[in-house]
Amino acid sequence: MPILETRDLTHVFPDGTVAIEDIDLKVNEGEFLVIAGPNGSGKTVLARHLNGLLKPTRGQVFLNGEPISKNIIEARKNVGLVFQDPESQIVGQTVAEDVAFGPENLNLPVAQVEMVVKESLAAVGLSQLATRSPHALSGGEKRKLAIAGILAMKPKIIIFDEPFTGLDYPGVVQVLKEILRLHKTGHTILLITHELEKVLAHADRLVIMHKGRLVADGKPESVIYRVEEYGVRMPLRDGEKVEALTWLK
Amino acid sequence: MAEMTLFHYIHKNTVLHRMDGRLKLACLLLFSLAAGFASEFHDYLVPLSVLFCAILLAKLPFTTLLREMRFFGLIILIVIVVNSFTIPGDPIANSPLAGISQQGVSTGLRFAGRLLIVLLVSMVITGTTPLMKFRDAVEWYLRPVPFVPEARVATMINLTFLLIPVILDSFREMMDAQNSRCVQLRKNPVKRIKFLVFPLIDQTLRRADEIAYAMEARCYSEIRTRTAFKCGKIDWLMLAISLAVFFFVLL
Amino acid sequence: MAEKTTASRSMNLRMTVYAALFTALIIIGGYISIPLPVGPVPIVLADFFVMITGLFLGFKWGLASVALYLSLGALGLPVFAGGRSGLAVLFGPTGGYLFGYLLLVSSVGLLASNRKESTVRNLMALIAGNILLYGAGVPWLKAVTNLGWAGAWAAGLIPFIPGIIIKIAVASILARVFLPRFKEISVQ
Ligand SMILES: Nc1ncnc2c1ncn2[C@@H]1O[C@H](COP(=O)(O)OP(=O)(O)O)[C@@H](O)[C@H]1O
Ligand SMILES: [Mg+2]
Repeated sequence: MPILETRDLTHVFPDGTVAIEDIDLKVNEGEFLVIAGPNGSGKTVLARHLNGLLKPTRGQVFLNGEPISKNIIEARKNVGLVFQDPESQIVGQTVAEDVAFGPENLNLPVAQVEMVVKESLAAVGLSQLATRSPHALSGGEKRKLAIAGILAMKPKIIIFDEPFTGLDYPGVVQVLKEILRLHKTGHTILLITHELEKVLAHADRLVIMHKGRLVADGKPESVIYRVEEYGVRMPLRDGEKVEALTWLK
Repeated sequence: MAEMTLFHYIHKNTVLHRMDGRLKLACLLLFSLAAGFASEFHDYLVPLSVLFCAILLAKLPFTTLLREMRFFGLIILIVIVVNSFTIPGDPIANSPLAGISQQGVSTGLRFAGRLLIVLLVSMVITGTTPLMKFRDAVEWYLRPVPFVPEARVATMINLTFLLIPVILDSFREMMDAQNSRCVQLRKNPVKRIKFLVFPLIDQTLRRADEIAYAMEARCYSEIRTRTAFKCGKIDWLMLAISLAVFFFVLL
Repeated sequence: MAEKTTASRSMNLRMTVYAALFTALIIIGGYISIPLPVGPVPIVLADFFVMITGLFLGFKWGLASVALYLSLGALGLPVFAGGRSGLAVLFGPTGGYLFGYLLLVSSVGLLASNRKESTVRNLMALIAGNILLYGAGVPWLKAVTNLGWAGAWAAGLIPFIPGIIIKIAVASILARVFLPRFKEISVQ
């Protein structure tokens, strides 16, 4: 059974925009899935359905075979979503307080909140900065903070919405390493990006979205040759293999 | 506008900075009340000298104090002058200025004294209390109040101060972008405000939506873990001093 | 049932964020001043954002937003125009305007069109709200400063009239442009 699945998922906004249409996607436990597509192809809208932030116009999302609408809190705990703009995800006055936000929402006892915060900060290597103001962090550190905030909810699946946007080279490397580490520790990863050259080497599967539809789905080495048809830059030069597509040495 | 993001909090590690936020708010209240009740000369002198010690204890820079005072200096002056001339009473002997009454001057001075106490106490409180503690203290006081959802109020306080630097940043960027396109040549003020405010509202509404989604994604709930407060002996001592000052002024 | 409660909870969260956003805008509005071609008094945008708050959030949430603003100031945070704060300001000469913000936001929130957009109705609401604002501010100014009626009107209303007109105009245009979209989002 797939850990996460969508059937006929369709979202029409009140203004008539059909953002996604008939998306059927199955994600298996432990997979590293890259979702690519040009701007406006519906990637963010899809991501927001996967933890119930948006209600489908038609179709459903299933987590472990159960519709997520049955227990939305459970879905949000299990499916962590790291937003494209880390600024909008930061709600704490200090780094530690921000990470505590999720566990506090779950009404965990104070001692447990403290423990989870410590663990999550240690996991992303931000323990030293616990008392800093989030706005004083670098771009890469802000993304890591957003990740720590998600980790504090102990999710099984983590979705990254364009995690490399606005990061410099060291920032990208920092975040990429973090994502790979999370994959190694057993998390299922969904990574939304159009910058395939930075990450595709590590993916098990590549999915392409175009105009709200899922137009290609398969092994990276087979799907990659069709990306240009759908408005994503072909990252491979002649003779190069998919394994070359990473910013890690 | 840079100082707005700091909101006058000055990070130091002193007794006052570490003090429990709830007791601090109580002290704020006591001093504000004391300012209201003060009547005799020593009623002003005692709270003012205690506050002066507090400023020294908290190691607050006096430049901040002066900056705060700047706004009020003029008001105080005007009130003293206006009152001195308009309140009827006994003329002051040997005064070079005609028409000044003793009662007028003393009313003016009282007003100034009151203002000064309120000013200093709020400066001490805001200068030594990070927003977090402040918010948690407010939340604590609202817990027994019926019909006020304290968790929501705390969230609102938090978000307000989170959003201010964000809005200011995008505002500054927009101003720069428009100035580089010569917006100052526009004479029509309606147009100018429009150019200023529309993109600001547009951007901040979008930002607010994103924040709401992000909070929801992290299971936002108003039934949440409550802050654990810690207050030590020194904190109670501070409260006791404030109480003493209050009763001294009252009696 | 579970669907419904999650929906209303997320609605409450959305309004909480908006209310905080408008409080932030009111605070910032106190720091932004725009010089006018006529008269010596620059436009300050705090009351403008109070009007917008009423139009956008309606009575209940608008009032919450402004009440938060006043409480923060009363507790000593430098949120009033020019970065001032405290009871001294709240009960000082200009305190009437600050309490008047409560009247302004609630009357605009109550009177402005809530279902169908009507610019005329929004305009009437804004005008009524401003009458209440200055109706509170000017007598207060007179009472606190011993200025006398003529002086109070001259200092507390006349110089602001051009600004008031501009702010009302911009606020109603703004409502026309943004409100339909805003309401769409906030009912989604
Ligand atoms: N709140 C909204 N109202 C109307 N249309 C929207 C809204 N949010 C997104 N859209 C539209 O939905 C489509 C998909 O958007 P999105 O998922 O953000 O694209 P991507 O993340 O792939 O760049 C776009 O055409 C966008 O304009
Ligand atoms: Mg997107």
